[in-house]
Amino acid sequence: MSAALLDPSTPVLLESLAHRALPDGSALARPGETEAAMEATVWRALALRLGGAANAASSRNASAAVARQQAADGRVSVSDLHPGAYSPTSIAILAWHGSPEFEDARRRAVAFLLAQRGDHFPRSAASPVTVDTELAGWPWIERTFSWAEPTAMALLALDSADEGDHPRAREGRAVLLDRQIATGGWNYGNSRVFGSDLRPAPESTGLVLAALAGHTPATKVGASLQYLEAFAPAMRTPLALGWALLAWSAWRGAAAPFAATAIHETLARESRYGSYESADLALLAVAAAAPRGLLAALRESA
Amino acid sequence: MSRDWLVTHRPSRRELLAAGAIFATGALAGCKRDLRPRVCVARAASYAVDLEPILRAAFREVGLTPGMVSGKRILLKPNLVETASGEGHINTHPEVVRAAAKALAALGAAEVLVGEGPGHRRDTVLVLEESGLAQILVDEKLRFVDLNRQRGFAVANVGRRSGLVRLTLPVVLSEIDWIVSLAKLKTHHWTGATLAMKNLFGLMPGSYYGWPKNVLHYAGLQESILDINATVRPQLAIVDGIVGMEGDGPILGTAKPAGVLVVGTNLPAVDATAARVMGIDPARIRYLADAAGWLGPIAEDAIHQVGESLASVLTPFQLVDRIPAHKALLDKESGAGY
Repeated sequence: MSAALLDPSTPVLLESLAHRALPDGSALARPGETEAAMEATVWRALALRLGGAANAASSRNASAAVARQQAADGRVSVSDLHPGAYSPTSIAILAWHGSPEFEDARRRAVAFLLAQRGDHFPRSAASPVTVDTELAGWPWIERTFSWAEPTAMALLALDSADEGDHPRAREGRAVLLDRQIATGGWNYGNSRVFGSDLRPAPESTGLVLAALAGHTPATKVGASLQYLEAFAPAMRTPLALGWALLAWSAWRGAAAPFAATAIHETLARESRYGSYESADLALLAVAAAAPRGLLAALRESA
Repeated sequence: MSRDWLVTHRPSRRELLAAGAIFATGALAGCKRDLRPRVCVARAASYAVDLEPILRAAFREVGLTPGMVSGKRILLKPNLVETASGEGHINTHPEVVRAAAKALAALGAAEVLVGEGPGHRRDTVLVLEESGLAQILVDEKLRFVDLNRQRGFAVANVGRRSGLVRLTLPVVLSEIDWIVSLAKLKTHHWTGATLAMKNLFGLMPGSYYGWPKNVLHYAGLQESILDINATVRPQLAIVDGIVGMEGDGPILGTAKPAGVLVVGTNLPAVDATAARVMGIDPARIRYLADAAGWLGPIAEDAIHQVGESLASVLTPFQLVDRIPAHKALLDKESGAGY
C-alpha cells in the first residue's frame, strides 16, 4: 500500500510514536520513560511496517531493534529477566513479514511458536469451569494455561507465515471457539464458572475475531459478531478500538464507517489519561493502515 | 528509592518472632498500653454522603497522624477487576478513592497516586471509564499508573509460602513510600472472601504474570496472597463495604449494602474484622489463618476494634453451598480453608 492510500490518522500516529523512539529503533512504553520496552518496540515496528515507503528506514531500524533481542531459540520476550513472557514473539513475526533482511529471524520465531503449547490436562467432571482443558493454545507466560488473547495473537502470526492450517493453528482455533461465551464475545479466556456465564470484554473479543476471520464460518461466531457491532462504534480507547477496527475490517473486507471519527476522538482524549501506552497507539496505527484486515494489509505491503 | 528495603531487607526470624510477640502481648488483658492493632469500623450510609470526614475520623481512630503521613508519596490501590454497566458493586467505588486521596492529602501526603493492574482486562483505560474512576482522577488531578504494563523490578520473595523465589513488582513501588489497599468487601469463589490482602494481587504486572495472573495461580493462590503481602508490606487498608458483594463473587455476585468502611494499618486485622462484618469466621479463610501471628492477628481479642461495634454492623453475606471455598466457610465441622 502506498503512503498516499493510508488513512490520514496513520501518519499522525506514527509521528506521535516517533517522539517515543530511541535512536537504536527501540521505543519507550510512554513519554518520559528512560528505558525501552519490548511491547512498545515491537508494536511500533509493526505499525511502521504498514506505514508505507516513507517509513521504510524507520521500519528497518525498529525491526532490527526487535531482532537484536531475539533469543537463540527464536522467542522474543518482554524482558531478559522474564524469558517465559514470550508474547511479543507473535507481534515480531508480523512485523518481520515480507522483509528478506529479517526472514531468518521470522522463521526461527515461527518455529518457536509452533513448538509451544499452553499447559493442558485431562478434563475433570468436578471442575467448576467448562473450558476444554485438554486443548492447548498459547499462554501469556510459559508453562501456564492457554488464554484467549495470546492464542489469538499466535494465530494471526502463524496465518501471516502461511501456517494457518498447521495442526497447532487448528487446535488454537478450537481453543478460541471453546472459550466463546454463549451470549457472544470473549474475555481473557473463561466462558462459564460455577454454572454462570462470564462477561465478554471488547478488547478480547476484537482480537479473537480478528484471528478467526478467514478460517471460521460466521455462523460459529454469530453472537460474537453481533456483540462486536454493538460495542465497536462506541469505543474510544486505543486498545479496544484498535482490535474492534481490525476485527471489523477482517470480517467485512472494508474499514468500519466510523473508523476515522473514532480514531480522531480517541486521540483527542489522550490527555485525559496522561498518555496512552505506545503499544496501544501503534495498534491504532496498524488498524488505521489495514482497511481490509491486518493480514491483507501485510500481504499488500509486501 | 524510597522503598529500597524491598530489595535489601528481608526480616530475620528474630524480627518475625518479635512481631508475633507484640501481637501476643497486646492480646493480654491488663496491659498498660494496648499494643494491639487498631481497626476502625465506620458507618457510611451511601456513596452520596461526604466520605472524606468519615475517613479522616477513622484515620484518627487507628492512630494515623499527620506526622506519619506528611511528605509521603502514597499509592492507592483500588480493586478494579472488570466492569459491567450498572454493577458498581464489583469494584472499589470511585467516591471512596476520591475520599481516601483527599483525606491523605489533608494529612500532608506529598503525592497521592492511584494504580491498578486489573486481573481480567487488558484495556485498563476502558475499565477506568466504565467504572467511573476516570472522571474522579481528572477531577482530583490524580495520576494513574497501569500496573499491568509498568516495567518490573525483581525482589526476593520474603514470604516464601509459594514456590516463587522472587517477585517482579511494578517500578512505581520503588518510587513511593506507602501502599494503601483500597479493597472491596466481597465474597470470592476461590478464596472465600476478597478483602485488603487479596486486593494486592492487582499490584503484580500482567506483563510478567499474565491475564489472569496465572503464574500466581500456579504457585498457589492463598500462598501468593501471603507472599505479596509479606514482601510489599502495605501501610494502610480501607475496605469499601458501603455496598459489597455476596454470592458468587468477586464478579457475578449480587450487591449487598453493609454501610461500612473498615480501616486499619494491619491488613490481617482489617480483613479479619471485615470478614466478621460479613458474618464469616476469618479463621476459616485459609490465607488469613496462615497470616495470623505472622503478618498480623486475626483473633477478635487480639485486635483493638474501634468505631461501630461489630454486632451493630453485622451483615451476613450469602455464601453459595456449591462453591467449595464457600462450603468450607459454611461447614462448621471443617477446619480452616479450602
